Amino acid sequence: MNGPVVFVVDDDRSVRSSLKLLISSVGLQVESFESADTFLQRKPPDAPSCLVLDVRLRGLSGLDFQRELAVRNIHIPIIFITGHGDIPMSVRAMKAGAVEFLTKPFRDQDLLDAIRIALEKDSARRGQEKELTDLKERFDSLTPREQKVISMVVSGMLNKQIADELGTAENTVKVHRSRAIEKMHAQSLAELVKMVEKLKSSSEPRML
Amino acid sequence: MAFLSLPVLTKMTSETQGARRSTEPLDLQALLETIPALVVCAVPDGSAEFANRAYQEYTGLPLNELAGNAWQTTIHPDDLANFFGEFPVGLASGELFESEARIRGADGQYRWFSIRKTQVVWRTPNTEPSLRALFACEDIDERKQQESARRYIEESYRLVVETASDVVISMGENGAILLANPATARVFGYHPADLIGRPLTMLMPGFLRKLHEAGVKRYLATGQRHINWQGTELTGLRKNGQEFPVEVSFGELTKDGHRVFTGFIRDISERKQAEEIRKQAQRVIQTMQAELARVSRLTTMGELAASIAHEVNQPLTAVNNNSSACLRLLANQNLRPDVLRQALEEIVADGTRASAIIARIRAFIKKAPVEQNRLDVNYVIGEVLAMMGHGFAENRIVLKSELAQALPPVLGDRVQLQQVLLNLIMNGIEAMTAVIDRPRLLLVESRLDESGDVLVAVRDSGTGLGLEADRVFTPFFTTKANGMGMGLSISRSLIEAHGGRLWATPNSPHGAVFSLTLPVPAGRPL
Repeated sequence: MNGPVVFVVDDDRSVRSSLKLLISSVGLQVESFESADTFLQRKPPDAPSCLVLDVRLRGLSGLDFQRELAVRNIHIPIIFITGHGDIPMSVRAMKAGAVEFLTKPFRDQDLLDAIRIALEKDSARRGQEKELTDLKERFDSLTPREQKVISMVVSGMLNKQIADELGTAENTVKVHRSRAIEKMHAQSLAELVKMVEKLKSSSEPRML
Repeated sequence: MAFLSLPVLTKMTSETQGARRSTEPLDLQALLETIPALVVCAVPDGSAEFANRAYQEYTGLPLNELAGNAWQTTIHPDDLANFFGEFPVGLASGELFESEARIRGADGQYRWFSIRKTQVVWRTPNTEPSLRALFACEDIDERKQQESARRYIEESYRLVVETASDVVISMGENGAILLANPATARVFGYHPADLIGRPLTMLMPGFLRKLHEAGVKRYLATGQRHINWQGTELTGLRKNGQEFPVEVSFGELTKDGHRVFTGFIRDISERKQAEEIRKQAQRVIQTMQAELARVSRLTTMGELAASIAHEVNQPLTAVNNNSSACLRLLANQNLRPDVLRQALEEIVADGTRASAIIARIRAFIKKAPVEQNRLDVNYVIGEVLAMMGHGFAENRIVLKSELAQALPPVLGDRVQLQQVLLNLIMNGIEAMTAVIDRPRLLLVESRLDESGDVLVAVRDSGTGLGLEADRVFTPFFTTKANGMGMGLSISRSLIEAHGGRLWATPNSPHGAVFSLTLPVPAGRPL
């Protein structure tokens, strides 16, 4: 995994360049953009990242841009900065999942703290995503027979019942089960059940 | 029957009456020839006995062509009865009768004559006394023509005066009314007959009477006019005691050495009333405009301050960021000289930028709190359009509005929304003042947009924004000669303070569209 990246989108040139210097002063990689559109043209990084976004932008506003990202299924944490913030605007931004809403001029530490939290959040989200992807890959490596046996085990059926259901010997079922546990890198049957449940819950919203 | 001439008659007379009377007929004939009139002498059956030379010359007919009843053909047929009058009326009469008739001249044209006729009893020695008529005709055609022309003019004048809706009234030097037309009854309430001989001052209120009398006196003495004689506004007094505004014009005529003044008096109550209503309406509009300007100024200053705060915050943020970054790098002994130089340069530039903005509007500091009321956007649009009312007509702008019904209320400050709309509409109007080759259309729309916000759009067919569409929202940017460049910047601040957005797009085929959205608060009103 690459080092974290902070994206800055602000149409004021001097604010943009000063943010770049400030954020890079704590050793973070920064990329800045003058508009939402130019940011969207950049390929999403394979690294924890966050977005420092000015509310007032030419063309698409910051709040609309936040909505646009959600529609595109881009889950980057957002820190809003604004020169003229008010409560309704900040409530709207926070409700839509913003990490922080800072009014210019802000204390440098507040911004850097918000960036740290945002990156941790993104990192955690990425970790979870990675774990799920791994699980999915392992599950996909099972044979259809093994997947069938596993799902029956998870639903609480005994080996004998599974054998009867599939019209096979109980020993065969036991072999499928232990192979599956091995392939899924599970330490125990209990962990295997947990893994399958995690997979199910992550795929459920997509099935709805 | 032969035409008898007087000399024949004379001869007969002298033969019968002897020497004493023999000179009489000669005198008569000579006398008739000397009269500067056309003379005919006829017997009771109307046939002529004699016509003098003047008659013959005027008609161009010799004696023999006038003999008997032939002479009567020279009288206009319509006037024949009039010519003879009551002749014969009686033997004893020596009276003189007068009438008028037309007689045809040698040129075939008829002229008017005054006919004087008398009956005489003709006595000859050897016959019964017999009746004769003498007609002396005097040419009055010219006088008659003038009279007719004068009568026509007089009649025309009389008609004009009688039917005039304005009062026509004449006054003598002594101030008494000589003449009043029928309009007097309608305007003043007096029948014209009731006014003749009475003082003109009875038609004016007390305060004018002395002035009027003094004015007339002075004019008669000095000939100096102290008021305009054409269209002076004065006050009249009706019979019922009501005073009313009048417009008076008058003229002067001298008759038999006396001066007569004739006035034309127009009741201008209605005109005055209309003027008064217009003035009042004007005052209301002015008051409203002044109030709007005042409210606008007050809140604009608050919003100006907010906008300025925003503009100043940009460079301040940059200064903060740059200096914080330098401090951090310094603490880590990681500050490269080129980075430091660039940061310092930017700090100086941003400091200059901030102080330039502050210097411009040092005075506006305080921000008025934004009111949060439930507002019907259509109602606010209606209020603004009503305020603008005459502004559209003045600029020959066709105003259309397409307002969606039953829009949910938004939360906001009514006056601020009015200001923003007013600002957008005024901008639209101004953008169209140069347009002469197409209709000046201003369309105000309201509806719900895709995200459920209330959207208001103001479309114009003006000159459009070109490449400056985004810059118009920048403070101090203006395309107008006398613009401050804050209107749209402030408007955007106001709308964003309401949680909405304000932006500009080109209109098709001409002009610009300014759109704003206002969020609808969650939960329905009770």
